[in-house]
Amino acid sequence: MLPNASGKVVVTVGRRVKTRVEEEGKIEEINVELPHEDLPPWEEKNLVWVGKGIPRVDGFEKCTGKAKYTYDIHLPGMLYGKILRCPHPHARLIRLDTSKAQRLSGVKAILSQENAPPIPWYNDSFLFDRTLRCVGEEVAAVAAVDEYIARDALDMIEAEYESLPFVVDPEEALRPGAPPVRPGGNLLDGKPIIYSRGEIEQGFDEADLIIEENFSTQVQAHACMETHGSVVNWEGDHLTIWESTQGVSDVREGMAKALGIPISKVRVIKDFMGGGFGSKTREGKYTVIAALLAKMTGRPVKLMLDRKEEFYATGHRPSSLQYVKAGVKKDGSLTAIYLRSIGACGAYETPLFPSKFSMIDALARPYRELYHCPNVKTEVYPVYNNIPVHTAQRAPGHVEGTFALEQVMDQAAHQLGMDPIALRMKNYALKDQVEDFPYTRKALDQCYQKGAEKIQWEKRNKKPGEKKALICEGIGMAGQIWGGGGGPPAYAIIKINQDGTANLLTGTQDIGTGSKTVFVQIASEELGISPKDITITLGDTETTPYAPRSSGSRTVPSVGPAVRSAAADAKRQLLDLAGSILDSKAEDLAIREGQIYLKNNPTRKIPLKEITQKMGNNMIMGVGSRGPNPPQAAINVFGAQFAHVAVNTATGEVRVLKVVSIHDAGRVINSMTLNNQIEGGIVQGMGYGLMEEVIWDKGTGIMLTPNLHAYKLPTMLDIPEVVPGVAEGSDPANNIGAKGIGEPPKIPTAPAIANAIYNAIGVRLKELPITPDKVLRALKI
Amino acid sequence: MKGFTFHKPRSLKEALAMLKEADGKAKIMAGGTDLLGAMKDGIMQPERLINLQEIPDLANIRPDNDRLHLGALVSLHEITVHPSIQKRFGILAQAAQEVGSPQLRNMGTLGGNLCQRPRCWYYRGDFVCLKRGGDQCFAVTGQNKYHAVIEGGPCFIVHPSDTAPALLAMDASVRIAGPDGEKIAALEKFFMTPRDNVTRENILEPDQILTEIMVPLPREGSRGIYLKARERRCWDFALASVALLLNIDDGICQEIRLVLGGIAPIPFRASKAEEVLKGKPIEIELIDQACRMALSGARPLASNAYKLELTQALIKQALLTLSNK
Ligand SMILES: Cc1cc2nc3c(=O)[nH]c(=O)nc-3n(C[C@H](O)[C@H](O)[C@H](O)COP(=O)(O)OP(=O)(O)OC[C@H]3O[C@@H](n4cnc5c(N)ncnc54)[C@H](O)[C@@H]3O)c2cc1C
Ligand code: SF4
Repeated sequence: MLPNASGKVVVTVGRRVKTRVEEEGKIEEINVELPHEDLPPWEEKNLVWVGKGIPRVDGFEKCTGKAKYTYDIHLPGMLYGKILRCPHPHARLIRLDTSKAQRLSGVKAILSQENAPPIPWYNDSFLFDRTLRCVGEEVAAVAAVDEYIARDALDMIEAEYESLPFVVDPEEALRPGAPPVRPGGNLLDGKPIIYSRGEIEQGFDEADLIIEENFSTQVQAHACMETHGSVVNWEGDHLTIWESTQGVSDVREGMAKALGIPISKVRVIKDFMGGGFGSKTREGKYTVIAALLAKMTGRPVKLMLDRKEEFYATGHRPSSLQYVKAGVKKDGSLTAIYLRSIGACGAYETPLFPSKFSMIDALARPYRELYHCPNVKTEVYPVYNNIPVHTAQRAPGHVEGTFALEQVMDQAAHQLGMDPIALRMKNYALKDQVEDFPYTRKALDQCYQKGAEKIQWEKRNKKPGEKKALICEGIGMAGQIWGGGGGPPAYAIIKINQDGTANLLTGTQDIGTGSKTVFVQIASEELGISPKDITITLGDTETTPYAPRSSGSRTVPSVGPAVRSAAADAKRQLLDLAGSILDSKAEDLAIREGQIYLKNNPTRKIPLKEITQKMGNNMIMGVGSRGPNPPQAAINVFGAQFAHVAVNTATGEVRVLKVVSIHDAGRVINSMTLNNQIEGGIVQGMGYGLMEEVIWDKGTGIMLTPNLHAYKLPTMLDIPEVVPGVAEGSDPANNIGAKGIGEPPKIPTAPAIANAIYNAIGVRLKELPITPDKVLRALKI
Repeated sequence: MKGFTFHKPRSLKEALAMLKEADGKAKIMAGGTDLLGAMKDGIMQPERLINLQEIPDLANIRPDNDRLHLGALVSLHEITVHPSIQKRFGILAQAAQEVGSPQLRNMGTLGGNLCQRPRCWYYRGDFVCLKRGGDQCFAVTGQNKYHAVIEGGPCFIVHPSDTAPALLAMDASVRIAGPDGEKIAALEKFFMTPRDNVTRENILEPDQILTEIMVPLPREGSRGIYLKARERRCWDFALASVALLLNIDDGICQEIRLVLGGIAPIPFRASKAEEVLKGKPIEIELIDQACRMALSGARPLASNAYKLELTQALIKQALLTLSNK
């Protein structure tokens, strides 16, 4: 590594190129090192393991309770940490007296603004800050020998606050004279985020029909089954962290930075976890607090949040208000789309994307890209208010934006007397209109078609709300666009053992999605070794090579190609070895199902184990990395969902009977884990559509729903029949042909339900969640 | 949650003695499904818990000639599966079936269901409101979509119990044991509005125990129904519910008891609606009139007016179903 003429350090190892990667709608150009070779796509007809619905490799451990979650980690001498939180929506801490708590027997350390290092956190604030901008902000922390003592100690800390004016409602926060959440005004960066192409006014002039509607979407909680938390242990200056996280490498990097220690001194481990949905992408304040408490006491510390803290202090999907105006011609072609939206950030900028990009703006993406439209303007106002900061949640922004956009499309179709699918096909976008790149693949048309067949689209009410009855049924649909192409860097290593088995190591994690199983299948396919003979290690920064956090539906498309490339590398070496032993050329050999055979005479074969036995203690190690994405191309996941609902017109209760969900996620590696993602996304999307809502009391900034009873997640009885499916074929975007499916199924669920309700009762529900009170009110108007 | 001691009396007498000795600092625990949540939320901080579960007679179900005797500790699940309750006291079985989830019905008792504390999210949250000894009701100007539309003020809770409207529709009564012996009270007199006392929901004193619920056998030919509207299909309290007991003979409404849940601080007897129908032939126009009358005098808050239509819809559905219209 040498400084160049401008003094900048340039990395000169390997062959490097620039490539474009996307995460949660944020697109970046990065440098990437090329893998040893570009692997050709798999030959479809030869596939043995890829595409199969094999059960999860860790299913047994999960079902039998053997699986260890962060919550289960118990170390000798371990202390328990608890956090004191601010009860006010906006206040200045003027006095903190911890002396009584300190004297409580069993209390080992107390941490607060007084003795904690000033570690920068959101915006210009610190880990512990004297200015507190929402209920639930961290004020102090205790480590004690058990949880009860730690809680009692919190009660004994005396904190005195000076109350400051506050604002909870995002619209009010934007009004002149609103209480300032932070210095510099309540509008993030003082201006809206504007995107524009074409001439919006001209577009409206050309339209035969203008649709104008207001929509609002609520705050949704992640409600992870396993709450956020960490167990930390210092050995000398080396820190080990067990963390319930979607990104072990990100936690390592973040913790090293927060504590001012080299990255090599931090090890982060996550084996099993109970849900993240975007909220566990980096270290939390609790992680740093646990590490500081452990340092102070010289003992391991466990700090897991309780359910109420989980609701308050781990982020949420932000609420939105959307004003949409769309112009269409009689033939259905869109002439203009305009969006003005207010999104509530909470008290800070989201820590996940601190600079230019705002998660709030991601809601405008579908408006800009889902349909072909020459004139588009989106104007997004991210506003600070005195509630906790939002964060990424399963398809950030896209879920909110699609709810509104797809209802506008449905409305346009209805007013034009067109089939909603025909209207969408009329405006089919053949390229990414923002970047002006072609898509590597777009099979949305196939999704429309397949979905329509499976829901029996022709059975929808031809005239919405035409039937008058106590129970009215209806069918509706919505489409989606998402990123999910993944990209570099990501690495994997495969070790071949003497007994013919293999170990796969990669620094990614299985956040409950089944990625362990999927990567074993990919390695099996390439190596010709059966999945039962491959063990996988991930979720440990010390023993595995780097892979990115599991967010943006990118785990499979980012890490999968690296796993394949490692397997291919190992296979090459294996075949070399086999060639020398069998006295034939490596190129003439192949492996399949544990047998090495001659390509031109497959009956001549020898078990792989016989070859590897001869290795003795010599090792074969395959190393693989993720190559760049194709240049000048956009990689996106598309899909369409269809809902069949029944509405009780007297009570306003809505039942979703069936959801058909068809996505273009490229190649399916494991049909079972793919279906799991679709089912899970639909359940979460239906909860968003019909019942989930975090509600704040506007007069106090206190959350009214911080428990799993008041916050209504769908129950087993609410979950509809789900018919999952995909558009056949693979995407040329990477060497495994797969894109992500984690987030997409959530996106069009709520709008498909809303459109189905419209089809049932002829009334449009524009505020989420669609609860009986809103249905009754809408029916009355 | 604060520390507490746990007591397991073996007889009612022993339990009453313990309560008296604790002098208001103890709480009775039956299934604990409501109580433990309230303790964790810091609403109650009893020094002692007196568990009734080991008192043998309190969990009996005993039908006699003209009434059903239900021990306060009978679980909701037992009520849903008991053949003679299903047959003769169907509204109660239906109502018990609508409570929470299977786990809650296994643990929750009938007595606990009648004595459970309200679910107002201010009360259960970090608010010192009227009910918790403070000086304001946050629901009046706050988020009140789940609150009372009738009989509210100064506190606007809704009574959360599903079984209470059903039992009231069947004209049940309760047996209460206290330091000075036993008494029997009509269920109608058991519940208290916030105007009577804002800190509690029924007449039980801290040293009293609800021991038995008695339900008279409905007269021959009577039919009953319990309907509950909610935001998700289980594990959810009623937005509104209707318990209806109806006796029609010769097309004439001989007897009607209509009780509404989820809309008032007590299970609300819709007497005005009953009057419309009693002694008259059941006709659609009269049903509509009864629905309109049911909540006359209601004064909804900012976000709960939908409960009026919702309740009317449930009443109509109940009346239509029972009169086979
Ligand atoms: C998540 C959740 C959902 C729920 N959903 C519903 C629902 O849909 N519908 C519904 O009706 N209820 C619901 N409940 C409320 C309730 O917990 C149960 O219905 C149950 O019946 C309460 O009985 P228990 O035996 O557990 O009462 P406990 O929790 O033991 O007691 C409740 C209260 O009554 C007092 N008490 C109990 N027994 C007696 C007695 N014999 N004499 C004097 N005082 C007594 C206790 O001191 C306590 O204050 C729900 C509760 C939860 C936590
Ligand atoms: S309704 Fe009753 S319990 Fe709720 S805030 Fe008002 S006074 Fe308190």
